[in-house]
Amino acid sequence: MGPFYFFMTPNKFTAVIFLVFAIVVLGVWIPNDVETGLLEKMRRHWVIGDSLAPTLAAGFVLFGAALILLFEKRDEAQFTMAAAQFVFFLKLVIVILVALSVMRHLGPILINTYAAISGLELEYRLLRDVIGVKHIGFLIGGMIMIGGMIAVVEGRLSHRALVIGLIWSLVLILVYDLPFEDLLLPPNGDV
Amino acid sequence: MSVLDYIWLGILAVFQGPEAFSIFGLAISITVIMVISGFFLGILVGATPGLAGPVAMAISLPILISTFGYNTDALLPVLGFLIGVMKGATVGGAVPAILFNTPGTPDAFMTTLDGYPMAKRGEAKRALRIAHFSSVSGDTFSDLVLIIGAPFLAIMVERYLDLPEKTALLILSLSFISAVVGGSVGRGLISTGLGLLAVYVGTGEDFYPRLSVGTQTLAQGFPISTSVLGVLIIGAVFKELDDLRSDQRASRMKPITTSDTNSALTLAERIKLAPTIFRSAVIGTVVGALPGIGSTLAATLGYTAAKRRHDDAEGGKFGEGVPKGIAATEAANSAVSGANLMPVLSLGIPGNAAAVFLLLAMDSISGFNPSPTVFKFDPVNLNPELVMAFGIFTTMFLANALNWTVGGRVMRSMGFMIRIPKHILLPSVLLLTLTAIYVQETRIEALYFALGFGVLGYLMRVFGISPLPFVIAFILGAKLEETARQAYAATGNDPWFLFTHPIAAVFVALSVGVMILTSRKRGSV
Repeated sequence: MGPFYFFMTPNKFTAVIFLVFAIVVLGVWIPNDVETGLLEKMRRHWVIGDSLAPTLAAGFVLFGAALILLFEKRDEAQFTMAAAQFVFFLKLVIVILVALSVMRHLGPILINTYAAISGLELEYRLLRDVIGVKHIGFLIGGMIMIGGMIAVVEGRLSHRALVIGLIWSLVLILVYDLPFEDLLLPPNGDV
Repeated sequence: MSVLDYIWLGILAVFQGPEAFSIFGLAISITVIMVISGFFLGILVGATPGLAGPVAMAISLPILISTFGYNTDALLPVLGFLIGVMKGATVGGAVPAILFNTPGTPDAFMTTLDGYPMAKRGEAKRALRIAHFSSVSGDTFSDLVLIIGAPFLAIMVERYLDLPEKTALLILSLSFISAVVGGSVGRGLISTGLGLLAVYVGTGEDFYPRLSVGTQTLAQGFPISTSVLGVLIIGAVFKELDDLRSDQRASRMKPITTSDTNSALTLAERIKLAPTIFRSAVIGTVVGALPGIGSTLAATLGYTAAKRRHDDAEGGKFGEGVPKGIAATEAANSAVSGANLMPVLSLGIPGNAAAVFLLLAMDSISGFNPSPTVFKFDPVNLNPELVMAFGIFTTMFLANALNWTVGGRVMRSMGFMIRIPKHILLPSVLLLTLTAIYVQETRIEALYFALGFGVLGYLMRVFGISPLPFVIAFILGAKLEETARQAYAATGNDPWFLFTHPIAAVFVALSVGVMILTSRKRGSV
């Protein structure tokens, strides 16, 4: 047990987090973000309102957290979360977010840049059926995702990791995109 | 039409369906090819630590739908493939458990206890043979029970359960899952509550999509693929990478080679194992028929039961390389898969992750809606859903036949899969999963949702909360609300409809009872 758990047992810490979450959902989110109550009168009949189901759902969370707090706070099933573990996880998420961003924007940015330089009227949306153009974002984004994640685990970025990422992205293009006309790889469904 | 006619039509639907190719004039149906392909893929992914059947099922589903479409003709090829994967993965999971002391699938954990010591003694191939024989026996037994049990369950449901009872049954299923899956009742309830909350975002009957925080992004709700794949697969990828970081030792361990020559199982040895296998198969089947418990608990119960009856003086201590230990575990965890389809086919309630993907496929493709009406034997008018049900059973037996004949050999040749480094495999699985989600949803937001659910899945695992109740609650949440609304209206706006109908009241009492019992049992351990 360390300062991370704010001097509680890890189970008590878990319970408190979910207890607070459930209270916020019940006290703030549901009342302010659902238009109808638990029961509503419609055309002189009472019907179940939209609030009932999420209230029960939050009730499950609340009841579960209360059970842990009351009966399971000293159970053997305690979790551990070290700072190094958190940093490692954060790095993975950042790599994925960067890769997704590249996947989404690289193709359009390249086409816009080329259009600006060449003076041609080009638009990514109109070129998204062209082999190569439609794959560039996925290819480079996929390479960054896999290469970056491998690098996070290995503690260093290697050419090998990037090549693996590139090859695997190519394989996925061959599996998902080339044989099927109706399947779209990122970002071709968004543009 | 008699029952036999329906069974025969189901068999024909598999073997005389759309033709893939012909050999010497003999037409080979596409369903048969899909079952075979799925089965081999299943063994491959099952034998790969870090992958499991549901991963392969999830990733192949969009490709299958894209290839075969959404109409009824697609049903048997798609389900056949998924069933093949499910069965292959169950067998394959034992390979890394025995050779590498790392379960390929979570339910193969108990296999490591006796499998790895046997492998260390130089009996790796023998251990694999025992695992295969027990697994396929348990699986076949379970499938037989499914075929006999599912129609009866459906008839009972249709006869005795009206809307209030069906609402109570869904509550019982969720309570049961909350209570028995994961570290504790409290954690199970949290997981279920989160799953329900997630599915209610952006839905409802009012004009304003509830819990959408006024945004268009949340107004459409979370697509099922993002939540299910995010929590189950992306969350698992994060957790596995995290475990890899904290336990670098595992990735450096050398696998044990399968060089033992005299590994064949004699008939006498098989007969000796039979009582253990049968006991575990029964345990696995009973556990599998109950929604949510899953194969890991079945394996634990099967192993414990075998250990209790085992005489140490006769064949060594459990945990030190006893064949019965492997047999008990593998028969129990494999027996779950068939019985698990009972609540899926007759109620639409999934019991484990593999069943979730079968249900998703059934939902996507038209012509088969899991419900009690599937098993309605209509002697006058043909019930096409019943024909499909028997078609599905036929694909299961086809996969079993493959398993009995070539499964063992294929399984034993999969030892090389454990050499793929996990830290390369897992990011590749992540990209594959995200790609599978995108081709279904075709918007980048879906990938951010999936990543968000992946983070949730990881944190749940860190907190010791099982993600399975979350997934099952997400799938059943809409059905629960809809049934409750209908029951409320049908009972003349009776707010106590769960308590005024005897069977519903019993289900509610059982829901509370199972939670109290599980809490007390855990408290006394």
